[in-house]
Amino acid sequence: MIDQLDELVTQAVARAFDTMLNVKVAAETSDATLWNGEPHVAGSVGFIGKLTGVVYIYSSATFAREITGQLLGLKIEEIEGEEMVNDAIGELTNMVVGQIKSQLSDRGMPCVLTIPSIVRGSQFVVESMSSTTRRFNTFKCGNHRLGVETLIKPS
Amino acid sequence: MPIKILTVDDSKTIRLIVGKAFRSFDCEVFEASNGVEGLAVAAKERPNIIILDLTMPVMDGFETLTKLKSDPDLKSIPVVMLTAESGRENVLRIAKQGVRDYLVKPFKEELIIERVGRIVDLKPKGVTNAKAKRFDDPLTVLVVDDKPAISDQIIHGLADTPWSVQGRSTAGEGLDYCNKSVPDVVIVSLNLPDNAAFTFFQMLRAQPKTKSVPVFAMCVKTASDEQARAQQSGFTGIITKPIDFDEVKSRIARSLNLDTSYKYFEHRDGVLWIKLPANFGTAVANEVTGQLRPKIAEAVDAGLGKVVFDLALLKTADVTLIKLGLEVLQFCHEMSLRSRMVGSGTVAQECRKFEETKDWAFAPTFEEAVAALNGKEAVPA
Repeated sequence: MIDQLDELVTQAVARAFDTMLNVKVAAETSDATLWNGEPHVAGSVGFIGKLTGVVYIYSSATFAREITGQLLGLKIEEIEGEEMVNDAIGELTNMVVGQIKSQLSDRGMPCVLTIPSIVRGSQFVVESMSSTTRRFNTFKCGNHRLGVETLIKPS
Repeated sequence: MPIKILTVDDSKTIRLIVGKAFRSFDCEVFEASNGVEGLAVAAKERPNIIILDLTMPVMDGFETLTKLKSDPDLKSIPVVMLTAESGRENVLRIAKQGVRDYLVKPFKEELIIERVGRIVDLKPKGVTNAKAKRFDDPLTVLVVDDKPAISDQIIHGLADTPWSVQGRSTAGEGLDYCNKSVPDVVIVSLNLPDNAAFTFFQMLRAQPKTKSVPVFAMCVKTASDEQARAQQSGFTGIITKPIDFDEVKSRIARSLNLDTSYKYFEHRDGVLWIKLPANFGTAVANEVTGQLRPKIAEAVDAGLGKVVFDLALLKTADVTLIKLGLEVLQFCHEMSLRSRMVGSGTVAQECRKFEETKDWAFAPTFEEAVAALNGKEAVPA
């Protein structure tokens, strides 16, 4: 199952962005250029069960505002503060992880989701335990890039 | 009464998206950010439907649903789950609790409108409380026919109205049009290939935005099997070719409950003036008859005590006209209104042939009829 993680993540991100934002995303092969010093927003949702893990979705703060505007049908200038952006990115992350979780559950690895949370910063390094599998997928969305980091281990 | 929708979701984003989805409908959307708040709002507002998330802090969707279904006052409220969790186990567990539908995030707004529209009667905003449209208000008539000549004929036939006729040659193009802009009326040819008119009709009826739009089927007069099938399918009506445009206008007016009274009824010079058009026929007679009693009552309310029934534009008198005339005179008699008729010599002569109308007298013009009613000139009643 874990070996199919890249595919699961790619499908889930593509479906969430296409359905909710009408935006096509293209999987990339490297994460080398994701961090460019610009402030980023990371949405995270965990899952706990036979498999335990957490998924982070990283986007630049600019892209996060665009996503929020598109989701809510608002102009960028109509978005009030960071709370609205945090909630939108948290919900989008929840939609991506919900799809992954459902696939895992249907394959005999039931788990439950945690409530989404948000972290803001310019560069993120998540250090995991040695038994944890880590994947980092990057996606091109128009002029923006998106990073999806998945940490997963059997309970 | 607007439909009350309660969205229970810890994500403000989702609550805003749900609110946005139903903005164009006659709905009131209430929000709650967890199950506890949701139950409180449900008890207070008694919504027509609840859209419920699963994973929430304080009280999750499972517990909320259990409490809703065990409350005698709330258990009949339909619940639609809207959740990011689509695993088989969850779906089965929730299905056992009696939810009406289960939607998985991510979702399109159109999907949630469609699913909610299957459970409650969504009406576009403005339809329920709008002032009745008049016949001379602008309307959009969508014509779906693979023969452009028919669309052109309808454009020409309705040219004396302010209505905009939009021609489309396939059911797919018609649906695309309806997705972008809801027409007031649709006319679709039953001759579209592969029974496309029936599929098109069903798809319009399945969409909350278009389910109340009158849809007329169009075919040749002799296609009786197709007409019967269209009637059974629930089309608003059948328009037969060759097209009688007076009839089409009248049927569109009736299907939209358009106010046509201004064409036949007017308050002028202290009298109620009921005037029949040159194209008088059964359709016009039906419209006038339907409005007669309220219009006469309205005139009495307005302080008018006299009626002029004007047939000056008519070239002949037939049974339909005579029936209508007798009805007008009967209403006037019931309401103690004085009345006079206006008509040409030909119409007067024809009326003399019938027992019921042989004593009808006509003034040559409206002004002379009014003068007679005011006692300035003698015109026998």
